[in-house]
Amino acid sequence: MHSRATPYLLVAPLILFVGVFTYVPILTSLDLSFREWDFLSPDRPWVGLENYRLVMSSQEFWNSVRVTALFAAISVPLRLCLALGIASYLVREALPQRLLRGALFLPSVTSTVAIAVVFSWLFATDYGMINAALAALGLPRLHWLQDPGLALWVIIIVNTWKQLGYDIVIYIAGLQAIPQDLYDAAAVDGGRRGHVFRRVTVPLVMPTTYFLLMISVIEAFQVFTVVDVMTRGGPAGATDMLVNLLYRVGFTLFDIGTGSAIAVLLFVLLTALALIKSRVLGRRVHYEA
Amino acid sequence: MRRDTLWSWAALAAGLIFLSPVLYTVVLSFQSVEAYYAGGFSFTLKNYAQAFGQYDFLRYLLNSILVSGVVTLGGLAMAVTAAFAFARFDFPGGNLMFAAVVATLMIPSHITLIPNYLTLARAGLLDSYAGLILPALANGFAAFFLRQYIRGIPRALDEAAYMDGARPRQVLWRVIVPISRPAILSMGLYIFIGEWNNYIWPLVALNDRDLYTLQIGLAQLYKENPGEDLVNWPLVMAASTITILPILLGFLLVERHLVRGITMGAVK
Repeated sequence: MHSRATPYLLVAPLILFVGVFTYVPILTSLDLSFREWDFLSPDRPWVGLENYRLVMSSQEFWNSVRVTALFAAISVPLRLCLALGIASYLVREALPQRLLRGALFLPSVTSTVAIAVVFSWLFATDYGMINAALAALGLPRLHWLQDPGLALWVIIIVNTWKQLGYDIVIYIAGLQAIPQDLYDAAAVDGGRRGHVFRRVTVPLVMPTTYFLLMISVIEAFQVFTVVDVMTRGGPAGATDMLVNLLYRVGFTLFDIGTGSAIAVLLFVLLTALALIKSRVLGRRVHYEA
Repeated sequence: MRRDTLWSWAALAAGLIFLSPVLYTVVLSFQSVEAYYAGGFSFTLKNYAQAFGQYDFLRYLLNSILVSGVVTLGGLAMAVTAAFAFARFDFPGGNLMFAAVVATLMIPSHITLIPNYLTLARAGLLDSYAGLILPALANGFAAFFLRQYIRGIPRALDEAAYMDGARPRQVLWRVIVPISRPAILSMGLYIFIGEWNNYIWPLVALNDRDLYTLQIGLAQLYKENPGEDLVNWPLVMAASTITILPILLGFLLVERHLVRGITMGAVK
C-alpha cells in the first residue's frame, strides 16, 4: 500500500521548520544567555551567570516585570468578565446578535499597528477626540500618553478593545455547548436570572474560561506592538513591557547576551505560569461539555 | 416582533459606537489636512495619492500581499501534509512529533527572536523576502486543527481509494483535500491575517525600505512625524485605511469561515 517512509516524508517539511525556527532557537537563546556578545565581534566569551546577575540587579528589568504583571493582572480579568457578560447576551443565533458579534470581532483581525495609530489620535492631547469630548463637558484635557499615571490605562483600553471580540466568540461557542435542559431545570426551580448565571452558566463554561485565561495571560506577557507604536515604553518607563525591553536590549543596544537572558527568564516565567495554572485550575474545571 | 426590531436597532447602534474609531479613520482619510486643522471638512483624495506616491505605500501593499500570500500557501501545504500523516498513519515517533508541533502553540515566540535573527544573518537572508517568509512558514495551530478535522473524515473513504490502487499522495489530493476544503479555507484565512498583521519580526529583520510591509511602513510613517499634535493625521489615516482595508473587505466576505476556524480550534 505504502512504504514505511511515507509518513516521515509527509511530516518532514513541518518538523524541519519547527525544529530550525522554534526548538533550536530555544537552545541557542540559552547558550547565548551565558555569553557576552555585541553581534559584531568574532568571539563570544563565556561569562557564566553574569548576564543573569546583571538583569536581576537592573531597575529597568524589575520595572518591566512590574508593569507587565500589572498589565496582565488588570487586563485579563477585565477582558474575561466583559466577554462572558456580553457573550451571554449574544448567544442566540438571530440577526441582531450576529451583527453585533461581527462588529465586536472585527478589531481582533485588524492590524494592531493601525489600531495603535488610530488610538494615538483619539488620545492625542490637543486634537484628540477624547479630549475634545472632555472639553465639551467642561472637564480639563488630560495628557493621556504623556502622563505616567494614565499611559498604562490607555494601553489596557486599546488592548481590551482589540481582543474582546475574540474572547466573546470563544465564550459564545462555550455557552452554546451547555445543554439547554439545565437552564430549563433551573427555570422550573424558579431560579432568578443572576442566580442561574452564577450557579449554572459560570461553572459550566469553566473549561472555556480556563482556555481563555491561559492564552490571554501568555498573550499579555508578550504584548509589544501597541506599546512600541503608542509610547515606546514611556513615559518614564510606565508602559515598558518585558518584550519591549527585550527588543531594546537585543536590537538597539545589540547586547545579545543580556537580551537572551531576558528572553530565557520570560520563557521560564511563562512556562511556570502555565504549569501552575494547570495544577491549580485543573481541579476546578468541572463538567466537561 | 417589535421587541426584536428594537433589539436590532440597539445592536446596530452599539456595533457602530464600538467601531467608531475605525469609521473615523476612514472619514478622516478623505479630509484635507488644511481643513482638518481649521476644524472644517472638505473631501479630497490627496492623502491617498500622497500615501501611494510619495510615501511608497503601493510598494508596501504589494510586499504585504506577496509575503502573506507565500506564507499562507507554503504554510498550508506543510500543515495539510503533516496533518494527513498525523491523522492517518501510525508510525514510531509520530505522537512525539505531533506533541512537539502542538507545544509550539505554548512557546512564546520572543525567545526565537534573537536566534532567528542570527540564523538569517548567517544565511545572508536579512533584508530579503525569504527572511520574512521562512520563519513564519511552520504553523502549529493549522497542523493541529487540520489533523483534528481529518480524523473526523471516515477512514472508509481512504481505504476505498487505496483498494482502487491509489497512492498516499493521491489519497491526500483526491480524497482528503477536497473534503477538508472548508477547514483549509479557514486555516488559510487565519494564517494570512496573522502574517498580514505581523509586526515584530519584519521590524527586526528589515532595514531596506523597499521591503517594508504595510505594518512597518505605517508605524514608520507615524513615528517619523514631528510631534503628536503636528502629525499630518489625514495622511496617517489614509495609510491606516490602506493597511486595514484588505482584511476588512475579506472579513466581510468570509466572516463565518473565519469565526468557525477560530472557535473550532479553541473549543476542541
